[in-house]
Amino acid sequence: MEEPIKPGRRRFIKSAAGAVSALALAKIAPAWAYPLGRSYGDAIRADNAVDLHIRRENLNVGGRLGRPITINGSMPGPLIRLKEGQRARLNVTNALDEDTSIHWHGIILPENMDGVPGVSFPGIRPGETFHYEYDVQQNGTYWYHSHSGLQEQLGHLGPLVIDPADGDIGADREHVIVLSDWTFEDPHEVFRNLTVAEGYYNYQQRTLSDTLADIRGQGLAKTWQDRSMWNQMRMSARDILDVTGSTYTYLMNGRDNATNWTALYKPGEKVRLRIINGSAMSFFDFRIPGLEMTVVSADGQPVKPVTVDEFRIGVAETYDVIVAPKGDRPYTLFAESMDRSGYVRGTLATELGQEAEVPELRPVPERGMAAMGMSHDMGDMGMQSPGGDESGMKGHHGMHDSDDDNMNDNMNNGPQRPSAPDLGIEHAPGGHGPGAAMIARNPVSRLNEPGVGLEGVSHRVLVYGDLVGAHPWPDEREPERDIELHLTGNMERYMWSFDGVKFTEVDGPVQFHHGERLRLIMVNDTMMDHPIHLHGMWMELENGQYPRPRKHTISLKPSEVVSLQISADAPGSWAFHCHLLYHMKAGMFRVVNVS
Amino acid sequence: MKKLKTVISLMWIGLSAPLFAGHAEDDWPEPIKTYRTGQVLFDRLEVTRTDNNEDLLVWDMLAWYGGDRNRVYFKSEGENKWDDGEPAELERTELLASHLIAPFWELQGGVGTRGSTASGAERENYLVFSFFGMAPYRFEMDNSVTVNEDGDIAANIEAEYDIRLSQVSYLQPRVELAAALTDAEEYDRPSGFNNIRLGLRYRYELSREFAPYVGVYWSRSLGDKSDQVRDQGGDESETGVVVGIRMWF
Repeated sequence: MEEPIKPGRRRFIKSAAGAVSALALAKIAPAWAYPLGRSYGDAIRADNAVDLHIRRENLNVGGRLGRPITINGSMPGPLIRLKEGQRARLNVTNALDEDTSIHWHGIILPENMDGVPGVSFPGIRPGETFHYEYDVQQNGTYWYHSHSGLQEQLGHLGPLVIDPADGDIGADREHVIVLSDWTFEDPHEVFRNLTVAEGYYNYQQRTLSDTLADIRGQGLAKTWQDRSMWNQMRMSARDILDVTGSTYTYLMNGRDNATNWTALYKPGEKVRLRIINGSAMSFFDFRIPGLEMTVVSADGQPVKPVTVDEFRIGVAETYDVIVAPKGDRPYTLFAESMDRSGYVRGTLATELGQEAEVPELRPVPERGMAAMGMSHDMGDMGMQSPGGDESGMKGHHGMHDSDDDNMNDNMNNGPQRPSAPDLGIEHAPGGHGPGAAMIARNPVSRLNEPGVGLEGVSHRVLVYGDLVGAHPWPDEREPERDIELHLTGNMERYMWSFDGVKFTEVDGPVQFHHGERLRLIMVNDTMMDHPIHLHGMWMELENGQYPRPRKHTISLKPSEVVSLQISADAPGSWAFHCHLLYHMKAGMFRVVNVS
Repeated sequence: MKKLKTVISLMWIGLSAPLFAGHAEDDWPEPIKTYRTGQVLFDRLEVTRTDNNEDLLVWDMLAWYGGDRNRVYFKSEGENKWDDGEPAELERTELLASHLIAPFWELQGGVGTRGSTASGAERENYLVFSFFGMAPYRFEMDNSVTVNEDGDIAANIEAEYDIRLSQVSYLQPRVELAAALTDAEEYDRPSGFNNIRLGLRYRYELSREFAPYVGVYWSRSLGDKSDQVRDQGGDESETGVVVGIRMWF
């Protein structure tokens, strides 16, 4: 699908390398994504008020004319750089013909500055300016985006970086990398297509020839067993992402593969890459072939350094990695969508115009039994399809299971990791109603699994179990109370919810008591991965490590259970939702009230 | 009048958003709004040539509007003989209220009419209940029971299955079974199974919304109905080829 760059063009780019093409590059990429990045010591700080203007305008997106929402003329919006300890003053002017908003994703701030229309403030009406003002009490890599309607899909987002008080970024140079997914379709049309025609964007379904190949490869009986499970469930093992490369152009700092966003380094330098997944719907697998990456921060919060070759970044998550490029050669920055329907690449190079080999897309992954909440050694089957018809699968030992067949290999390569606490989730009979097409009867911790499509890779892949907080957090109390929420969905009708009840149907907020320490237990009763985001407070992931890593967004794999510790220290009302934009719109959204 | 409008709009708000799930000032918008949409789907819109060299235009469509759980459906199915100058024959035309009762199933109830569309023709009006959705193994089904003004009860089962040949092409077997629980002499429906129709279509999606197809079908009357057809000098069974379009918007 990607057009290879013709040699002639390559020569042209090369000959034009230098200041001239750097300027040309800056015209398409936002100014902050300037190829030189930022050397440690540059001062581009928002000490004074930042003015942001939100507009809808024509812009070249990947070689075609699109009509995104721009912020100060660019899409993604400008890099906002603040310093820990300062007071942020951000004036947002709405030049759209509809309401808008900006949510500062991952920032701890007062309730009325959080920017969620209907929860923290009324929104910003057309022609109005809203003055955001808050004390910056943290540092790291974050981002900002609209929380109004489907504006995020139109590119209403940008990076937000906060320098530490001591100014030390642990590297000689840094680059910010914003990954996003762009479509030339109207986002409302995308949502309707998902609602009325299941699988609308999935052009990687299993076909008759896959089934015939399975029969040849593993026999009729086993193929029948495998297929009948999925067919009885009326679900697809190839349902990895709802919206795919069939409509998306994946972007790195606003550029597509042909326009190749380039980051420069000088040989011998340590470079900090701040990677932000600002997508509406796309999980990415990020790697730099030939270069190992040391993860030093997750969701803006420092973690003990862990060196990997690849990591999966859920929607709304951020990772900071430090790389030490060897010699004088270009490297490909490669972000592959989780369903392998597309990718975006950029280049880390010593001069503009350089390119490195771009890897092939890996084969389309398939979900295995673990996605249904089953494991090999389970005697009675862990899957229940509510609504009467029990699927009654028995004795399927040795069935094809791409999710965990290879998991052990992968784990053998890596360090020994502690396991998360066993929470022993039991589902009440009856399930979650018609809004939930599936229940994971035996949900398990999957924090040490890299996720669908990454099970068999031979290099080191980051898992949540690797993350260790860089230092303990101030509140070390044991949780006094557990709150359990289930992630539920019905793909066929595009219903997404918590506990089978979408936002418009719930009768009140999730109540946190101000000052309490609580444990949030989440169970994913769906066949999809969901990045769940809590506003206003950190979630400390119970992954068996100490100190626990802090997250603002936690991705749950199918049939996974996770637990998080939260200090309910932020009075007010906060949004809590799946960060897949169309899942949120469908109702996978709650308000958490702290009082 | 204005007062009435206010009352109606308040009632509507009361119905559509029973309780706000969070905290908000009165004039703040809802963070997530109730979403309703609709679709018009022509599952079959085809020209049929029977083994008696008759040409028919056949349609089988539905339209719906609503939210996740509650929808309103309009379904219509029928045929018109090509160039015979006679009006079309309605197999069903129904208006139904639908409620999602299980993840893959809707229970629907409403009213319908069938018979000739000729003016002055005596049509059969009936109440209808449908169990509509997707069975395990992904069979798309519409199972309905009808009761007419005389109390005659009839049942109809339609099932379709898509075998995916490629990402945009499908082989679709289809079965339709008609039965009567009571004798309905007026409408030529003796009790028992009346008719079975099997079809096989090959469909190619030019887009998700627009897919031409070709296919064949075989239809046969059953039981007492079969005797009835023979007595009237008709054929018990019929085969035909079809060319058509599946489309939605």
